[in-house]
Amino acid sequence: MGRIVFAAGAPHAPAIVGLFDRAPAESQKVVKDTYAAISHELRAARPDVVIMFANDHLANSRITFYPDFLIGTAAVHSGPHEWFQEWIACRNYTAKGNPDVAKALFQGMTRRGIRMSSREENLNFDDNISVPVVMTDLDQTDMTLVPVLQNCTVPPYPSPEKCYEVGKALREFIEQDLPQDMRVALFGSGGLSHEPGGVKYYKIDEDFDRAFLDICVAGDHKKLLKEITIERLEEAGTGGTAELLSWFPVMAAIGERPGRSFGYTGWPSFRCGVGGVIWDLDSKQ
Amino acid sequence: MAWEKFNPNLAAHDLVQDMKWDPKLREEFKQNESAVLDRYKLMPQERKAIEERDFRTLYDLGMHPYLGGQLSRFIWGNDAGKGAVEASNKLVASLQGHSRDIPPT
Repeated sequence: MGRIVFAAGAPHAPAIVGLFDRAPAESQKVVKDTYAAISHELRAARPDVVIMFANDHLANSRITFYPDFLIGTAAVHSGPHEWFQEWIACRNYTAKGNPDVAKALFQGMTRRGIRMSSREENLNFDDNISVPVVMTDLDQTDMTLVPVLQNCTVPPYPSPEKCYEVGKALREFIEQDLPQDMRVALFGSGGLSHEPGGVKYYKIDEDFDRAFLDICVAGDHKKLLKEITIERLEEAGTGGTAELLSWFPVMAAIGERPGRSFGYTGWPSFRCGVGGVIWDLDSKQ
Repeated sequence: MAWEKFNPNLAAHDLVQDMKWDPKLREEFKQNESAVLDRYKLMPQERKAIEERDFRTLYDLGMHPYLGGQLSRFIWGNDAGKGAVEASNKLVASLQGHSRDIPPT
């Protein structure tokens, strides 16, 4: 059986790379502290594979035929996709894929009643996967990557309850289907509050963000499912904040565990609330 | 909820997707926008809204805001430091119904 050795959730806002130099010192500190802790602890956990859930942002499929969970089964994952390079302003990367785990995941989730889709070609990655990869230099390690691009923005997208169910199936998959002693890291990429392309593009819902981080840090899943509804996510930023649903499979897979966050910033030019969580897997559930 | 008007049938969505995936089409859009628009089954008011950079109307017709944001970047700029900031300022100004820039800070 495989084992979850690391679990985190963090934003992938492009501006934390592209506008980093212009940000106030206290906002820079949150970005640096969050991703430094993630990079450090991810390495220390020595995972064989990182399964990363992230909003697809309509980068791979037409709106008329849109998958809810799209697994990238390629042998390597290069990015960012051409049009997003100048927008994110990050370096290019080529991370090692893991076709065996990716395909096993597709089969394992299918067998457990969770509909996913898969694609063998290099997926188009925008900030969703690119920002976490370059912020952690994941491509410069031996870790392999299995991206799961999630529909968090084309209604009706999978609900919090559905995403939680996905996480429970994910845990079973890791424990029952993966090879003995395989070490797995889980990463939920997305959030916090933002409204990309909307009338509230520059508005960040700090109250929501802080409450969400508190729930994650406490590991209170009853509260998570009660308070973080689709309505509340959309109210905190239409079409953007709901990408926090990529944290749900991670949380459901590890169970109710406390975590740590590394500060919060709502600097408007990031156009996104910024803060992350690493969960403590050694704690008792 | 801002999704009440969302209409996944809008041809403008395909226009944005195609431009994202095809650098040549992007270039052609810059050089000869109407020739590109001719190829899509846009409703007359949808086409007029694109031509007039009237995002409020586009969203009222049902455009997905994420793709609306990307359309604004094809028009006004996509680079992190400058163009994309200008694009989001102009997009928000259009949605809010005025012409002044929105100070990003």
